Amino acid sequence: MLEVRNLTIRAGAEPLVKDLSLSLAEGSLTCLIGPSGCGKSSVIKWLAGVLAPELTAQGRATIDGVLARFPHHDIAYQPQQDALFPWLTTVENAALGLEIGGMDRRAARARVTELLPIFGLEEHEDSFPDQLSGGMRQRAAFLRTIVQDTPVLLLDEPFSALDAVTRLRLQDWLLERLAERPRAVLMVTHDLYEATQMADRVLVMTGGPGRIVADIPIPTPIGARSETALAGTRSTLKRMLLKDTS
Amino acid sequence: MTRIKHLFPAFVLLAAFLGLWEGYVALTGAPALVLPAPSDVVNGLRVEWDDIARHTLATLGVAVVGFSLSVAFAFIVSVVLHFSGWLRRGLMPLLVASQTVPIVALAPLMVLWFGFGLLPKVLLVILVTFFPMVVSLTAGYASLPRAFRDQLVSMGATRWSVFRRATLPSARTQFFSGLRISATYAIVATIFAEYAGARRGLGIYILAAKNNFRADLVLSAVLVSACLTLALLSVIAGIERITGRRYRRGAHA
Repeated sequence: MLEVRNLTIRAGAEPLVKDLSLSLAEGSLTCLIGPSGCGKSSVIKWLAGVLAPELTAQGRATIDGVLARFPHHDIAYQPQQDALFPWLTTVENAALGLEIGGMDRRAARARVTELLPIFGLEEHEDSFPDQLSGGMRQRAAFLRTIVQDTPVLLLDEPFSALDAVTRLRLQDWLLERLAERPRAVLMVTHDLYEATQMADRVLVMTGGPGRIVADIPIPTPIGARSETALAGTRSTLKRMLLKDTS
Repeated sequence: MTRIKHLFPAFVLLAAFLGLWEGYVALTGAPALVLPAPSDVVNGLRVEWDDIARHTLATLGVAVVGFSLSVAFAFIVSVVLHFSGWLRRGLMPLLVASQTVPIVALAPLMVLWFGFGLLPKVLLVILVTFFPMVVSLTAGYASLPRAFRDQLVSMGATRWSVFRRATLPSARTQFFSGLRISATYAIVATIFAEYAGARRGLGIYILAAKNNFRADLVLSAVLVSACLTLALLSVIAGIERITGRRYRRGAHA
């Protein structure tokens, strides 16, 4: 689905990420984990077409074999903060991507309204972000991302600002949404538990400069992912991350 | 009720100031030619109301036309500067430097160049009120959180779409701050322009009252000009309140 080859991101002359290659398959959720500052978010921002202006990137990416430039209409991006506009209601916020994509405003908002019950926001159609709880805000942000119906989703630490209980609930909820409509998902996270619980593959990045040092598949089906079943994988990942940051 | 409670200390201090002034004039017997008592000012306003009202309307007309054009012009310039980094880097230092020129001192030249009509007065109001609005708007545009911009760009939004959907709404608070600052200058600038040369207006009325040694009428006109500025500020506050229910929500995510 999405292939990245030899991506190098520089801050001035200094490489932040060097010769990084990865691929995302349709219907798979790939987690990118690594220490702070290793360039995980920069990789995802490059793919979203929003790399910080002080950074430069060189590399090649294809979507279904066709050379891609970013931002790309097949990719939806969800940043670390929910980035809901405070002056827009839930529906108006969630319909932004569709409207920018060229859909008529009324049709876009009708499409979003149809999906509100699935996202648990049916009673908050006209609420503003400051009237929503942290979990509801994040669900509204997911709605804005998912309603664009793109085959590729980029999620930059989507659960990092949530409390533990809301995070667990939303992780399960997101997996259900993805099961309904399989896509290629790349998710950046710091959380080993989250990565092993949700992903089909975990890519481990190291810093200075950032590169992928391990590609660990998680063959256990989502429904059978108990502490025991994942203990070995988590232990391996923990060792790798600690080794890199020691 | 809350509003009255909020304004109460200001009313008390104002009443105390006017009381002291009235008492000082009564006790010292200061001549009305030099320092009229507040009661003389109010009395002058009452007696001369028809004349003052006629001049007030002329001042208000110039101020409203000049200020409205200034708002429109400032908005257009701010948008152009926003989209052209080259122009912004070139023009902003010049705009800042232009503020070192005492613009009101240009009033006589305006009359020399453009005569006694509406144009020189309107131009002076624009020159005085334009800068705070441009600065406020450009600062407002720059305050757009990066995450908002990134979200729209990742969706394929054009620069204009980002501006319309996020940059402009984000600048709303700063825009109204600039508008309030400029509004306080608008009436003062009009009166200055009228001082330099006009057939009608509070500026020319003040000049005539001064020449007739009527300090009470000078202060009456000053009182009216202060009320005009307060009225202009109230209108702006009203517009901000009516149009901004959704924008008063948490500033940024």
